[in-house]
Amino acid sequence: MKTLSITSNSQKEILEETVSQLRKGGLVVFPSDTVYGLLVDATNEKAVQKLLKFKNRPAGKPISVFTTWNQLPHLAKVDKLRQKKLHELFPGPYTIILSSKHKTSLLLESEEKTLGVRIPNSRLIDELTTRYRKPITATSANLSGNSPHYSVSSLFNSLSEKKKNLIDLVIDAGTLPRNKPSTVVDMTKEKIKILRRGDVGLQENKVNISNSENETKRIAKNILRNISKEKNTKAIAFIIRGELGAGKTIFVKGIGEHLGIDNIISPTYVVMYEYKTSHKKVKKLIHADLYTITSPDEFKHLGIKEALEKNNVLCVEWGEKAGEILDILSEKTHIVYVDIKYLNQNKREIIYTV
Amino acid sequence: MNILAIDTSADETSIAITEGRRIISNGVYSQILTHTQWGGIVPSLAKRAHQERIDLVIEEASKRFLKAKGEKKERKTTYLNEAMKSIDCIAVTYGPGLAIALEVGIQKAKDLAKKYKKKLIAVNHMEGHIYSCFAQNSKGKPDVPIKFPYLALLISGGHTELILLKDHLSYEVLGETVDDAAGEALDKAAKLLGFGYPGGPIIERLASGVKNKDIYKLPRPMKKSPDLNFSFSGLKTSFYYMLKKMSEKEINKNAKFLASAFQEAVFESLLIKTEKAINQTGVTNILVGGGVVANKHLRSYMRKLAKRHSGQVIFPPFPYLTGDNAGMIGIVAFYKAELGSFSKESQIDRTPRLRLSEKAVG
Repeated sequence: MKTLSITSNSQKEILEETVSQLRKGGLVVFPSDTVYGLLVDATNEKAVQKLLKFKNRPAGKPISVFTTWNQLPHLAKVDKLRQKKLHELFPGPYTIILSSKHKTSLLLESEEKTLGVRIPNSRLIDELTTRYRKPITATSANLSGNSPHYSVSSLFNSLSEKKKNLIDLVIDAGTLPRNKPSTVVDMTKEKIKILRRGDVGLQENKVNISNSENETKRIAKNILRNISKEKNTKAIAFIIRGELGAGKTIFVKGIGEHLGIDNIISPTYVVMYEYKTSHKKVKKLIHADLYTITSPDEFKHLGIKEALEKNNVLCVEWGEKAGEILDILSEKTHIVYVDIKYLNQNKREIIYTV
Repeated sequence: MNILAIDTSADETSIAITEGRRIISNGVYSQILTHTQWGGIVPSLAKRAHQERIDLVIEEASKRFLKAKGEKKERKTTYLNEAMKSIDCIAVTYGPGLAIALEVGIQKAKDLAKKYKKKLIAVNHMEGHIYSCFAQNSKGKPDVPIKFPYLALLISGGHTELILLKDHLSYEVLGETVDDAAGEALDKAAKLLGFGYPGGPIIERLASGVKNKDIYKLPRPMKKSPDLNFSFSGLKTSFYYMLKKMSEKEINKNAKFLASAFQEAVFESLLIKTEKAINQTGVTNILVGGGVVANKHLRSYMRKLAKRHSGQVIFPPFPYLTGDNAGMIGIVAFYKAELGSFSKESQIDRTPRLRLSEKAVG
């Protein structure tokens, strides 16, 4: 068994090694947006059998797969209505149950011939699935009936030598944020149904479409205005997620303008800027960009905790990396998750969850 | 007048001792190496390193200062104690920069001022980058006379600004970036192409490998906007989505051309706005400071631009002055001291988003 670490190996190395293991039918422990997952090629019958053996999973209990927008229509039946709903939820911490087209190992399907699919909000998994071009199993790294693991050491402590020997590669990303396992949504029937609830539900997601930078700023202002009306007992933290160039800084500029700050620029170089505001209630705006942060250790020294006074506003870009401080944030702030998706050159979809 | 200057605005712990425009000694503990594996500055590393290194760097700068002064007397105490006998003021950067990093330098400056009973001078890091063009070595070379007015273009990983200087310490910000800095854009482009940090020098090397050809024709940001502001975020987005449409193989094969196209787009945008500023102000003498000035191709572009307008362009005379350094802070402090612009201890507070248009403290 080989171990690569997110902090000491390059992303390229990690992806290449994982792909090569999956091709060989290997079993890989891999960090996801929720918990550590067990990855095998979902189309490789032998690899899937190995996975089931590892998990002690009884046949007929389904296992979901990581996929991509391109692959999805080949794997499961997706009509227009479902397509629309899927776009609201993916990428995100959801597992969606659909009618299978039986292109993956039949061992992964339920007795009703359904397949669970995931497109998580994880750059690493996105890169992996895009590279691998085949669906990959997305089950949590634990034995059936046991609770999931947030660190590799915790997983290993629970395993016998025999089980450990079945693992071919481990990608260690340290301790993952304590996100719950994904929310499982059944879309096979006419009525959409939540089968298991994770960190996020379905109704609170509010979707906005922006057609310009100015509109993105306006949306940001509106969100801040609405939230500060309801939630005024703690600081407000915007955890902003989205690809490079999605418009994360533009969103923060909108927040800034609402607070009377007109000189917000990208804080990438120094990681964090703080601004004094001219707003009645909000004293400071803290704008952090976690783009260059690779180790959870770094958070301890950012001084974020000290900045979380009542009514201050914190905006964190590349918020998917904020895992380590989510505990602190959820204790001391009202967290607002903002996901910005690139639709085309000017158009963005902005989803927020309180 | 001898000044001990401190700069800890980002990832360099830098201490210098200056006399007028002359940098007598300069100690930089470059943390770039520590950071290479992280792909950028990492704040806790920066802070820990500042705290761990600052005394070491002060001692080194003091030692070099004494050596340059030819003082070979036997030493009973620290180099700093010896050097302090001929130092008049302590200068320190109080912004812009990373709050927790600035804090380390400011605290050290206050401690030294108190212990040795020296006056304090608070300096804006960006003033430093402007004055880096006026720097001289300990022998007073090069001896370029200062003739106002100047246009100053500051381009680094954290900043992109165009400033009009009518006289010493008088700044009018004509334009600045509204999102990403030029150096940051180059760093991110390098990262998108799969290269490490800092990305600027890598992009320069790749581009020069294909003689700076521009075959992709990326958009020239803010070309048509009437103001003198810069923007590089849109360019980065275009580049990102252009790469997304290409296969990895295609990207690797064309990395040099891609790097070159991106660099051309960034530089042309800098040139367009600088030329616009020349036309608007009639000022043809240009100062260019900041990390991106290390790029030889950009230097040649800037020289051509100045020549077209019968002006002159001045770059920082030594390579180390393009990066963050305390030497430039000491030079600014000298002109401030001449004006009697000192600060009280209580007046100096870290100001992460300090602007050149803000009134100096003190």
